[in-house]
Amino acid sequence: MKAYFLIGILILLALLLFALLLRAVKGPSIADRIVAVNMMGSITIVMIAIMSFLLKEDYLMDICLIYAMVSFLAVVVISKVYIGIYEEKKHGREEN
Amino acid sequence: MSRRKSQEEYERTKAFRFWRWMSGKQDPYLGKVELVPREEPEETELTIQERMTERQMIRDKVYDIEHNKKLGVFHKIYEALAVCFCLALAGILLYTVSLLPATGVADKPVNNEVPARYIEKGLQETGAVNIVTGMILDYRAFDTFGESNVLFAATTTVLILLHSRKRAKDKQRREEESEGENDRVYEPKQDSVLQVAACVLVPVIILFGIYVILNGHLSPGGGFSGGAIIGAGLILYLSAFGFEKTEKLFTEKTYKCISFGALTTYCLAKSYSFFTGANHLESHIPLGTPGAIISSGLILILNICVGLVVACTMYTFYVMFRKGDF
Amino acid sequence: MEGFRCLMGGLFLLAGVVIFLIEVYGVFRLKYVLNRMHAAALGDTLGLSLCMIGLMFLSGLNFSTVKMFLVILFLWFASPTASHMLARLETTTNENLEEHCEQIDLREDPGEEDVK
Repeated sequence: MKAYFLIGILILLALLLFALLLRAVKGPSIADRIVAVNMMGSITIVMIAIMSFLLKEDYLMDICLIYAMVSFLAVVVISKVYIGIYEEKKHGREEN
Repeated sequence: MSRRKSQEEYERTKAFRFWRWMSGKQDPYLGKVELVPREEPEETELTIQERMTERQMIRDKVYDIEHNKKLGVFHKIYEALAVCFCLALAGILLYTVSLLPATGVADKPVNNEVPARYIEKGLQETGAVNIVTGMILDYRAFDTFGESNVLFAATTTVLILLHSRKRAKDKQRREEESEGENDRVYEPKQDSVLQVAACVLVPVIILFGIYVILNGHLSPGGGFSGGAIIGAGLILYLSAFGFEKTEKLFTEKTYKCISFGALTTYCLAKSYSFFTGANHLESHIPLGTPGAIISSGLILILNICVGLVVACTMYTFYVMFRKGDF
Repeated sequence: MEGFRCLMGGLFLLAGVVIFLIEVYGVFRLKYVLNRMHAAALGDTLGLSLCMIGLMFLSGLNFSTVKMFLVILFLWFASPTASHMLARLETTTNENLEEHCEQIDLREDPGEEDVK
């Protein structure tokens, strides 16, 4: 009973992931895409945690922590690099 | 400390030459191998014009989708085919997955005597609770050594490719940096929100990486994943505080020392098995009680070495591609 | 007691999933990325922590509970910072920001150039 409930929640979250993937493909600006990918990250963390409870494998929680860390790091690095590139291009355009 | 040979005599020995080559005081290939940069071809008015017309032609023929009808049709077909290809690939992969044997089936082709041996005797022979770590760092330790060396070689290649040109301009570059001609100057430098978050998170991340490395023989994880976590923590610190602060902590010299030290320790620790006979499973190091932190012989040391190499590699790759220099 | 724990865990998990649903709905409903970020932050903090609390109830007290708590704590630090970086990215790179939102100049001396 408990397992069926959890599997149902997993399927629901997977559907949400598909919806967010649509947003990431559609999103007009780059920030839209990054927001969608970041949200997919947090939903994936919940899915991994539920899997860890379902399969009775405690070490999957470690992967949750690492996943949270990596998605945070990706957002920070991508936004910094992108701002740098954008400003550089803008600067170049103004000079020409 | 007295020196038996005089300075002149010492300078003629091979040891001195080796030391000179090691410390990079003199390049033995200088002047013998051609290292001259290619001369720039001279540009006349005509060649410039030719190039410009060529570029314009290419732009018209290849990129001008709105006016070129053939190109428009081609692009539409291309997009449709790309979607079809992706769907077909996904279908083939899913079909392949559906043909894989289910988890826990006894007569899988991979179920031969090798995993049986690992599972039956792995714990008593290697002392590691985590059988995978026991496998990759004891039965197949030379394989892992090769992997660490591959990482080191990759970093060295990146260093050679990106480093050589910058060093000559080092002085010039510094001057330019003060004027703001550097390509990193447009990035947001001091972001106080990110700095506070990094202050809190970086120690936690690095501690977690150390935990993963030290527990490699007890729980899933080990050198590769723990090193990657530590490298990620360093990258976060770098992106919060900028290059000036991390250069105090991590320079090219630190990278060299850590990588060389870790790889040499790994090599020596594993060569130990040659002295105890070719079958290196019978080591004379006590294995300890399985489950304790200090147990399972050499695996802990090897894990730390691999972790250090991986962390340095991650960080160095990031720095080299961002900045092209340490 | 066992039944109570299961009930509480299930309720918290359901609440978390409902928050995630609202988040995805908001991401499609709102029109501009700075507004969408608001919806996204909802799921990152509240939805995830509700789900984790539900799982804590279900799994009982052991070592993985501590790790779940660490995940919640980590995301409470990390998610606002990530949102801040994203908002900064959007405000820097969007050239016609005035179309979407009202801008207030918070500098003390508005005439001066913004010093980075």
